[in-house]
Amino acid sequence: MLAFLVRRLLMALLTLWAISILTFLIIQLPPGDFVTAYIAQLQSTGSAVSAQEADNLRAQYGLDQPVWVQYFKWLGLALRGNFGMAMEWQRPVIEVIGDRLLLTMILSLAAVLFTWILAFPISIFSAVRQYSFWDYLFTLLAFIGLAVPNFLVALILMYFGFSFFNANVGGLFSPEYADAAWSGGRIWDLMKHLPLPALVLALGGTAQVVRVMRANVLDELRKPYVATARSKGLPEWRVILNHPVRVALNPFISTIGYLLPYIVSGSVIISLVLSLPTVGPLLLKALLAQDMFLAGTIVLLLGAMTVVGTFISDLLLMWIDPRVRAEG
Amino acid sequence: MDDRVPTLRRRELLRVSSLLLAGGGMAFLAACGGAPGTTTTASSAPSAAASASSPAPSAAASASSPAGSAAGSSRPSAAGSSGSSGGNIPGKDLVGTIEGPTLITEPAQFPKQFSEAPSLAELVKAGKLPPVAERIGQDPLVIKPLRATGKYGGTWRRGFTGPADNQNGHRVAGGDRLLFWDAKAYPKNTPNLAKDWKVEDEGKTITVYLRKGAKWSDGQPFTANDIMFWYEDVYNNTDLVKVKAVALSVNGKPGTLTKVDDFTIQFKFESAYPMFVDVLGSSIAVFGGNAIQGQNFMGGFAPKHYMQQFHQKYVSADQLAAKIAEAKVDNWVNLFKLKNTWHLNPDLPVMTPWKTTNPANTPTWTLERNPYYFGVDDQGNQLPYIDKITMTLAENLEVLNLRAIAGEYDMQARHLDMGKVPVFLENQQKGNYKLSLDPASHGADAALMCNQGYAADPEIAKWLATKEFRIALSHGIDRNQLNETFWLGVGTPGSPVVTDDSPYNPGKEYRTKNSTLDVQKANEMLDKLGLTQKDGEGYRQRSDGKGRLRIELQTISGSFLPFTQIAEMINQQWRKIGIQADVKEVERSLGTTRLQANETQIYVWQNDGSDNIFLYPDHVLPCTTSSGTGPEIGKWFQSGGTSGKKPTDPQIVKALELLASGSSKGPEERTKIGQEIWKLAVDELWAIGTVGLSPAAMGVRVTSNKLENVPSRHFNVQDGQTPNLSRPSTFFFKA
Repeated sequence: MLAFLVRRLLMALLTLWAISILTFLIIQLPPGDFVTAYIAQLQSTGSAVSAQEADNLRAQYGLDQPVWVQYFKWLGLALRGNFGMAMEWQRPVIEVIGDRLLLTMILSLAAVLFTWILAFPISIFSAVRQYSFWDYLFTLLAFIGLAVPNFLVALILMYFGFSFFNANVGGLFSPEYADAAWSGGRIWDLMKHLPLPALVLALGGTAQVVRVMRANVLDELRKPYVATARSKGLPEWRVILNHPVRVALNPFISTIGYLLPYIVSGSVIISLVLSLPTVGPLLLKALLAQDMFLAGTIVLLLGAMTVVGTFISDLLLMWIDPRVRAEG
Repeated sequence: MDDRVPTLRRRELLRVSSLLLAGGGMAFLAACGGAPGTTTTASSAPSAAASASSPAPSAAASASSPAGSAAGSSRPSAAGSSGSSGGNIPGKDLVGTIEGPTLITEPAQFPKQFSEAPSLAELVKAGKLPPVAERIGQDPLVIKPLRATGKYGGTWRRGFTGPADNQNGHRVAGGDRLLFWDAKAYPKNTPNLAKDWKVEDEGKTITVYLRKGAKWSDGQPFTANDIMFWYEDVYNNTDLVKVKAVALSVNGKPGTLTKVDDFTIQFKFESAYPMFVDVLGSSIAVFGGNAIQGQNFMGGFAPKHYMQQFHQKYVSADQLAAKIAEAKVDNWVNLFKLKNTWHLNPDLPVMTPWKTTNPANTPTWTLERNPYYFGVDDQGNQLPYIDKITMTLAENLEVLNLRAIAGEYDMQARHLDMGKVPVFLENQQKGNYKLSLDPASHGADAALMCNQGYAADPEIAKWLATKEFRIALSHGIDRNQLNETFWLGVGTPGSPVVTDDSPYNPGKEYRTKNSTLDVQKANEMLDKLGLTQKDGEGYRQRSDGKGRLRIELQTISGSFLPFTQIAEMINQQWRKIGIQADVKEVERSLGTTRLQANETQIYVWQNDGSDNIFLYPDHVLPCTTSSGTGPEIGKWFQSGGTSGKKPTDPQIVKALELLASGSSKGPEERTKIGQEIWKLAVDELWAIGTVGLSPAAMGVRVTSNKLENVPSRHFNVQDGQTPNLSRPSTFFFKA
């Protein structure tokens, strides 16, 4: 068991290192660098930067050095827990991400909770009452949920919110609370803004979970052990919850690995559309501006989360499913 | 109730969704994630945009008759309005007349008594602030507001897109350069931070007089020492500034700056440089003011008493190292940069009407009044009237536009999308704002810049360098169709020439010269050039027998205008003259890289900034490495002939010589030279104009009905930092 853990840990570190190199290379791939992007952006607002000024800027940011020098400089900083300066923001990367990390986590957790609260009862109900009216209705809704891109739902909800309810458009806070220190009022303000984006984020996921879970439960329901349980005289709800549902949960446990990075990055597109102050838009902006320190750190963070998440889901699976334990 | 409104809403909604669906998620992302200045109209095909233009007439009609007579106009007919050109373009009603505040420079007319904002008066009473007369000094800047003497108070709400959008704040709350432009007569110089200037020796000596008693926002006096500190310790420090500013030298010889006394400075140049006065008044050059240029170690002055603590020369290495560590930057250059950045460092003393209190790298960039601002109105009330400016972060431009539509901004033009004019109009009452358009002064929002130094394909290079070929291409463009489709009919079709009101405009006839639709003439010209061979589809063949003549139009995604769609429509129009264009859309950085590597044939971009031809000729002539009309020739011009490609076209040589001679001439002669350059530019069409003089870039403006003293139209110019030119310090909220 211990050897297994150590082996996994070493593998994880190696994976992270590979991720860091890949990240850096990918960010360097597109033509130009932060300064080119910066100049292009200045030009689109009518300012000009001469070639000499551009060289000045490159020297300032150390972009005139070879890629591998830049990489090791960044790696050196990262190992000391300092990820450098976010060029566009002129603030340490840690601070820029830190500001948004908490909100991103709150939002994503809310979305996950919404998903599960909605999805589990519906899917179990659908499976048990297969081909009933309600099953058809939920199936229909689930397919709509799967088919409609959720950024479109976000746009439409935002437009209706504006046209009919005069709602504050986008964001997670009203302007007066956006920068305020945490207080009762600010939390309440967040609570008022949270449901819309969380719901939008949850919709697609709910539909997916409903479909998968329903199929899983249906498979299990037909197995002989269910008939055995019933014949033993167990109440129906215990039959279903104790056996088929428990087995049907396995696929979800194994996807927790992907849940963690998701909690950190949120959904890039939804956050953009709804103007949410999360890590998603930050990543996109960093990539567009070719700010490799910021983008690199976020991608590295996502990579680390995936690695950690996978590890946790392995452990959970062992804990919840005796069959895995036996094989392991 | 009017049944038209829901229809419009639905249309708009459909349009939004069709845009998104047609463009696909990623296109949307690329468009809206872009830094300031991008719009999201950049997806769907021309047809969607065409349908977007159709609601405009009815929306405008309903705005002009708010009583809501639904009859008659309820069905917007695109055919009726787009067929006939000119005439009754709805958008024209939204364009006001140029107006603005007046500077009072006659000391006899200066106010004798001064007053201040109530919040400051309290501080004075409490003994925490010196009296107002002491704060503004004996030489205040006196501004007569546009309409009325204002009331103090209020918060001006705006939206911005992140720290890269810092111009957003500079444009409203900045404006600390030595000289300024006249709000009513751009590009005429007026005083600002300096009270006066004198040009002597035919422009070899320029003396600038500062205001006595003017103070930094922390109460320290502003003197020539702050200018000399910048010049000697910042500008001439090789760590901070590695390459000197071109604008501070004439004929390649740098000028010098000396202090005459505490309130007088003097520039000396080896040869005449009267145009330097324009440099002192422009925001884009080296003397653009510490607010906007301090982050680049430029600007013309810096608060010595504050900034010296971050300067190598004034503090010991140990102290500096401690400060570097504290600020978490890697070296003293970046420390100095960070501390001298107006929008990031709330502690930096400023000379602007407002100062940053919450920096631009947070979700709400906040600015509050500078109690020491040296400007007063004609009644002696210290400016600014408005207490506070807040800018809320919008992660994407759709949200920013929707917030503007919801009336969440008190005045904003930046980032507002021309394609949404109908929706802005529809919601004017609900949002309690007024929509107005400020057409820009540059002639082309989309110019086809023909690379005169292209070399990769000799056949294409030959044609691009042929005047008749370029003119034929120009005659093949149906500018009215472009205008109706992409500019909602509010642009002006024609050549790339600057607006008729500009002193540099050579004459009205140049607007249409070589720049009207004339398919027959275009075909005749092309036939005459020997391009007579056509293939089965009617396209002309290359003269070297290598198949069809295909010309590449390079466009950039996520720009102010949907350049790709515009180019596609031009491609369709060119079918009639047998020319095939390949529209190639690239991402912005790649676009710049390709251009500088001389790989573009025709570069599609706006010629903004060309309203001041001598300060920013980049988009008119091949004079820099980022000029679409010939980056290699630009390199040659910039390097003084040591690298790049020497132009062979005598007209280019002539134009570049004219450009170079301008700086040494007085204003009158310079104006004439400017006109000569424009004549050449239109005669030769190195850049082919399509539609311009439009509000597409920062000219679609919402103004709260509560806000007063805002001009119905102001000059929409880059180096005037519109609306800064109109002195936002005189804007105020009515009760």
